[in-house]
Amino acid sequence: MKHERLGELLDGLDLRDGMCVSFHHHLRNGDKTLNLVMQALHERGLKELHLMASALFPVHKPILPLIKDGTIADITTNYMNGPIAECLSNHGLKGSLTMQTHGGRARSIVEGDNVIDVAFIAAPAVDKAKNASGVHGKNACGSLGYAIEDSLYAKRKVLVTDNLVDTLEDPQIQGDAIDDVLLVKTLGDAEGIMSGTLKITKDPLGLKIAREALRLLQALDVFEDGVSFQSGAGGISLAITKGFNDIMRERGLKASFYSGGITRYHVDALEGGLVDKLYDVQCFDDAAIESLKKNANHHAISASNYANPNNANRVIKDLDVVILGASEIDTDFNVNVTTDSYGTIIGGSGGHSDTAEDAKLSVIVSPLLKARTPLIRERVRTITTPGKHIDCLITERGIAINPKRRDLLEKLKDTRLPLFSIEELMAKAHAFTGKPKVSHPGDKIGVVESRHGSTLDNLYKKGD
Amino acid sequence: MARTYLFIPGNVPRMLQNADVFEADALIIDLEDAIATYEKDEARELTAQFLRAHRPQGVEVYVRINAEEPLFSKDMKALAPLEIDGVVLPKTTLSSLKAYEAYQDQFDAKLPLIGLIETPEAFFELLQIAKFSLVKGLILGAEDLSAATGMHRDENGQELLFCRSKLLLAAKAAGIRAIDTPWTTLEEASLSLDIQSAKRLGFDGKCAIHPNQVPSINDAFFPTEEELRKARRIVKRHEETNSMRFSLDGKMVDKPVVEKAKALLESAEAYRFKRGKGQ
Repeated sequence: MKHERLGELLDGLDLRDGMCVSFHHHLRNGDKTLNLVMQALHERGLKELHLMASALFPVHKPILPLIKDGTIADITTNYMNGPIAECLSNHGLKGSLTMQTHGGRARSIVEGDNVIDVAFIAAPAVDKAKNASGVHGKNACGSLGYAIEDSLYAKRKVLVTDNLVDTLEDPQIQGDAIDDVLLVKTLGDAEGIMSGTLKITKDPLGLKIAREALRLLQALDVFEDGVSFQSGAGGISLAITKGFNDIMRERGLKASFYSGGITRYHVDALEGGLVDKLYDVQCFDDAAIESLKKNANHHAISASNYANPNNANRVIKDLDVVILGASEIDTDFNVNVTTDSYGTIIGGSGGHSDTAEDAKLSVIVSPLLKARTPLIRERVRTITTPGKHIDCLITERGIAINPKRRDLLEKLKDTRLPLFSIEELMAKAHAFTGKPKVSHPGDKIGVVESRHGSTLDNLYKKGD
Repeated sequence: MARTYLFIPGNVPRMLQNADVFEADALIIDLEDAIATYEKDEARELTAQFLRAHRPQGVEVYVRINAEEPLFSKDMKALAPLEIDGVVLPKTTLSSLKAYEAYQDQFDAKLPLIGLIETPEAFFELLQIAKFSLVKGLILGAEDLSAATGMHRDENGQELLFCRSKLLLAAKAAGIRAIDTPWTTLEEASLSLDIQSAKRLGFDGKCAIHPNQVPSINDAFFPTEEELRKARRIVKRHEETNSMRFSLDGKMVDKPVVEKAKALLESAEAYRFKRGKGQ
């Protein structure tokens, strides 16, 4: 049913205290939908809601009072930064915080671990048959991958759009699964939706790390026809993606697929004939959106088809190489991308833990020192990705290979790569910084959930 | 032999701390032009402390000192106890070399130097400078030279051809290193043209004023596959014949050619994993 007023839509829903409402994060820091809906639920006096948002950004600051007054009791998300993350780190929340992975979120929805009462799905274009797409309209965001499971499994599915069209030729969300369409003035702010023009880092340390990563991949004979590759949208990752493309081009090779968040550098590879397919779970820039619109080999995929560990057809089960970052890593190779060393939430797994587990080779790239804080700790403050899934760490001062990967160590033994144990790299950092003080955590506020649904670690209030 | 000589300001802790990770073969820690007059003492002290505690390993370390008193004596005194490969002497002339030598003689020291050739006068005594006992290399300083002469530089380098050639010939005649001037923008295409100008003339290496220039210089001064193939064949034939004089492909090969081929293979091996762009 189509609605032109939010109040009218809400009148028709079975609203009750404690219900679970979901949102996706494809509009990133330009999203206005979550704030609009949550404020309306607050005004109706609802309490103890479970907010299940695939990510939360600084733009969602207006819901802080709802967390403080108990309108929102529980939060399940895959990533958060900004004022909400800081507030939860300092004060916790009435219920519990659960940090999932992208694949874990999809799994929990598909398998019913999380039952969504109402999914509010911001959609940049919706047609008369309630089909939805992310590639059209003034607030186009590209792939709607993280919303697909919500659109299929929530008890009530609502598309929220500012762009009604007659028909969509290649919808990402099928209208027959949708219950309602809400027309709003605007979904969001286009500037916040796009991550801006993503650029390769110019930082000499970042470029050194990228060069070292490419040397490692070459020494491990990763470059061959049919290789599959994933990296993020950070400056170092982009440098590696571009370098990866350059080497593929020089050697006349063609990859099978690049997956994950897609940028212009991935699109360059597709258009340059360096890769067969892009499997896109979120678009990071305009070039990615345009490519998704026009290139038949650029596929939008759902979070479940991307990374659900119990989905036999998930893309990343065939992933050869993934490049990932780290806020901290410990001597057992456990990686933290959820909090800083003091416990302040600064991110979350996203696809980190999913891809690290599935990829044949998982590579962490990071400066050894971050603002005079060593990357490597004896124990990370929060485990986001277990060390058993991490194969290599690359810093500007050397490379550490997880001792569990004897095959890699054997392959690299005659190279001149700067290989060290992770303890040796930690000592190099300590030579500059001294051994850092360990902060003591406060009260428990939630959990980090593995992609399989078990508790991987606890989250605590920021310590002293 | 070093290909890349990276200038690092002596008053920036983060740059000093990371100086050895940028893959330059040599570092020139700068106490001269990069440092404002009122920061000279601070930069000297920081540089000395850094070199005492964290002398970069696997890289040659030079310090560009101030040539004028009283800064010259202060710099030299601070550097005396440190483990460095030499100093870079700004605006080198024959008279400044003699003053340098006299200072060294006072302390019975023999710290080598690289002469920075950046004044018109120096070009009229270049061979004597190159052959001066403590001089292990010459750097062309085209920026100061441009300021002194009114020369306008561009990426094609025609205006520098005479100065580059003269410096190169003097260095080669003296058997010391010929090091090209820095290119002052980070734009890769023009940097590449400037590097190629120096490489074609026969320079051994080039200065960099930013870490991001290092990979391009390292790449350009890494031997080509053809050069490596030829050097391997020369060394192989030398080993087979146990001779320094033999014929290869109808051309005579003698001792200097054999030694050059050996040096090329050794430097290629040493720098194989410090090539520019991750390849």
